[in-house]
Amino acid sequence: MTDRHHPRPRHDGTESGLEGLVLRLAIAEPPPPFRPVRIALIMLLGATAAGAVHLTWAGPRPDLGASLLDPVTLAKPALPLILLIFALTATLRLSRPEGQIRPWPLALVGLAALGLVLGSLAGLSAPEILPAVLGSTLRRYLVSIVGLALLPLAVGLGLLRRGAPTRPALTGGLAGMAAGAAAAAGYALSCTEDSPLFFVTWYGGAILVVAALGALAGFRMLRW
Amino acid sequence: MTDAASEGREGRLQAEDPWESLLRSANAGDARAFARFLVAVTPTIQGIVRARAHLLTREDRDDLVQEILIAIHLKRRSWQPDRPLRPWLHAVIRYKIIDALRRRSRQAQSRHLPIEDLDESLFCEDPADPSVPLDLDRILARIDERSAFIIRASALDGQQAADIGEQLALAEGTVRVLLHRALRKLSDLVQRTLP
Repeated sequence: MTDRHHPRPRHDGTESGLEGLVLRLAIAEPPPPFRPVRIALIMLLGATAAGAVHLTWAGPRPDLGASLLDPVTLAKPALPLILLIFALTATLRLSRPEGQIRPWPLALVGLAALGLVLGSLAGLSAPEILPAVLGSTLRRYLVSIVGLALLPLAVGLGLLRRGAPTRPALTGGLAGMAAGAAAAAGYALSCTEDSPLFFVTWYGGAILVVAALGALAGFRMLRW
Repeated sequence: MTDAASEGREGRLQAEDPWESLLRSANAGDARAFARFLVAVTPTIQGIVRARAHLLTREDRDDLVQEILIAIHLKRRSWQPDRPLRPWLHAVIRYKIIDALRRRSRQAQSRHLPIEDLDESLFCEDPADPSVPLDLDRILARIDERSAFIIRASALDGQQAADIGEQLALAEGTVRVLLHRALRKLSDLVQRTLP
């Protein structure tokens, strides 16, 4: 925010101080336009670019087509995509002062993920659970998803500063959730670990890490 | 609220809000319209600030009004011209008031002010006619701050004595006694000023 947009209050507290302020504000340069839909598109573009870089580097999973026919493996990219839509919509709503959101769509995604976990738990014996959760590519996962999400998140938060969210931390957190979900959906196209125990835990964990980063950054960056 | 007054308000709601057309022109680059808009909303802002941020000193309240005007300027493009203006405006005012109260409570570490408790009372979806608090303010300015606060909270906002007591850290009974005294003070005052 530059100074020409940002006159300071005067501290004489008189009527003429107020009139002077009104005049200064009236002739000040109007702020840049605020277009939330454009912000969403730019964030999606950033996420797509990051996803494309990742897929070029890691390559899509060999059985990508077949994996999308199985409902459980389809959920791996589909649930993050649905979460992305909900979180991004909520972010845009909250980017205006009067914006309100309803938490149930996000809760619905969480419930679906929980259902997947319980469903796969039912088919496993106790000693099989921990290896299924840990998988074999854990570290790469967390680093990749968080890394892929950082670019769209940073760009999105920077543009959201033009908005006026009255709940900056929540707005930043939802932007982070959207960026994390987009990264997870992209990552799912190359990942071959199909146990819901694994992907719900770590995709979910990575998305929450990005959401927490977004909330922290939003608390600092989105206040006005 | 009398029938005539509520009818008047409904009539205003149906007509195009003049503030909306002013801000629409302002956002299209009309500086004169923006000046007129700011002048038009200032008394409303002052009324809300006086009613909602009565814990601040007079100087802090004046500063807060100026900060709100600046925020309106900085964030005016976040209003959608096809949406009603009032919810946007009130959300901006409420945000800046809470911000100011928080900042002040941080500055005065010794006296903690839990803004979250006040959150609900800081904002009403459908604010009363702004001229009412203005007139009332003129009278209430002549009695002590605590009495004025209690009268405002009970008569204007319709809060229960227990709730008011919670905000002032006083017992419910004490609030009732104080309200009674404050009302007597007020009626004495009004009678003395009558010819």
